[in-house]
Amino acid sequence: MLRTLTFTLLLSLSLSIVTACRADDGRQLVVIANPGIDQSSISLETLRAIFAMRQRTLSSGQPLHVFVLGDATPLHEAFSKRVLGVYPHQLRLAWERAVFSGTGQAPNQVASEAALINAVASTPGGIGYALRSHVTERLQVLAVD
Amino acid sequence: MTSQLRIVATAVALTCAAAGASYADLARAQSDEGRDTLQVHGFMSQALVVTDHNAFFGPSDEGLGSLEYTELGLNVSRRLGDRFLVAGQVLSRVAGDYGDAWKPTLDYGVVDYQALTRDDLVLGLQVGRFKNPFGFYNQTRDVPTTRPSVLLPQSIYYDRSRSLGLASDGVSLYGERRLSNGTLYWQGGIGVPQINEDAEISLSASRPDLEAKLSTIGQLLYAHDGGRINVALSMARVRADYRSRLTPSARGDFLFQPVIASFEYNAEHWSLTSEYEFQTRKLSGFEYSRANRSTDGESLYVQYQYRITPRWQWLLRYDYTVSERDDRDGRRFAATGLGPSHTRFARDLTTGVQWRITPRWSAQAEWHYIDGTAWLPRQDNPDDEETDRYWNLVLFQTAYSF
Repeated sequence: MLRTLTFTLLLSLSLSIVTACRADDGRQLVVIANPGIDQSSISLETLRAIFAMRQRTLSSGQPLHVFVLGDATPLHEAFSKRVLGVYPHQLRLAWERAVFSGTGQAPNQVASEAALINAVASTPGGIGYALRSHVTERLQVLAVD
Repeated sequence: MTSQLRIVATAVALTCAAAGASYADLARAQSDEGRDTLQVHGFMSQALVVTDHNAFFGPSDEGLGSLEYTELGLNVSRRLGDRFLVAGQVLSRVAGDYGDAWKPTLDYGVVDYQALTRDDLVLGLQVGRFKNPFGFYNQTRDVPTTRPSVLLPQSIYYDRSRSLGLASDGVSLYGERRLSNGTLYWQGGIGVPQINEDAEISLSASRPDLEAKLSTIGQLLYAHDGGRINVALSMARVRADYRSRLTPSARGDFLFQPVIASFEYNAEHWSLTSEYEFQTRKLSGFEYSRANRSTDGESLYVQYQYRITPRWQWLLRYDYTVSERDDRDGRRFAATGLGPSHTRFARDLTTGVQWRITPRWSAQAEWHYIDGTAWLPRQDNPDDEETDRYWNLVLFQTAYSF
């Protein structure tokens, strides 16, 4: 009985809040944000809308700036598939549809993970992703519920 | 003379586009430091069109084919304050003898206000010239990289009277409601569409005069699991004043009312897409009562895309349309002496490949085997009687976007 209860509890915890997903090499991948962002977690559907460039501000009214790596980079691919649960080609199509129909803008694409971390840390409203081991105190990690 | 003009125009356009591209890079570099959100994007494409019978986008059935399919677009957008986005795009295109060749047009120009952005609900509105949300592809129908093939399925996204559905000048409200693993989107707009010569000549060989009136359009879309499954319903009521050029006293109302049901499944390496359209074209209010009539047409396509590698994609599609459901083989139409029966339907079997050479540059090729000419542009084939029922259409296109 106790075992079942513990198991259920663990299962529901692991389902409700995911702070990290694994990249291909087994290292942990997290959603990072500028420390000025006044929340510590975000829902999956909101995160998908932000990275698909459909939502430009948080519920607090804080404007967001999305930073990504190139489509073919392992980190972007792992983030798309494991965290957002969409394929990079779907994200690419969503951006092109937003940009060329006047409904949104393209995300800011940077050349490396270091540049991405730096951009998120120095841009108010910055949001992106990184390996957990590379997260510094200049960033905050957003849990995905 | 025309070809010289064409070369000069292309050169000017390419220079502008290149300047736009370098400016866009500059703008991006700046936004990494500060928070300037100015973005410039654009695209250009050139196609070679070859047919064995019938002309499609220029003299495709002569010599080595037609180069008269070129698209150029340039857009600028910027966020203003926390909740506003201003965006506009200029489009210039040539597609055979389509009316406004090269003439730059404002494709869209909107002020977007995202009024509410809650975790579970987003509400916003667009004012200006907005792209009509119609099926999966209409809003970016002229952007090569957003299309699965060189030509969109012509049954629903017909080019010959494209102005009917392109964009509207007015107001559009949009929103999304987030559920546990899916999002429900809606958009509803009211505005005046751009009904041009293309719609007039496609409606009837006698080219009636159409004057656009206030029209409505709406779409409801549900995306499940990040867009693995998408289903949508789009509806429009496009209204215009109709006046015959032969007998100017003959005037009435034209109503074009399409409904589209859309379905898509996205897997990692393949996508299956299908859309069905039921459309009503209605003439009413004419004194001469035989002119008042209503015609129901329908269209359906099923499309399979396979991503062989991230850069190579293969496509297979069957596309069917009929102008009048009660006269599928067009025999009744032909009996009235208005034209050959095959102008009333089209069955198009298409296969093609798409190659992303670099993230910005792509090339594609496709082959259509077609029975019927329901969507064959009358602009390129003035005499319906001289069109052939069975024809092959091959397209090669290269596109660059930034």
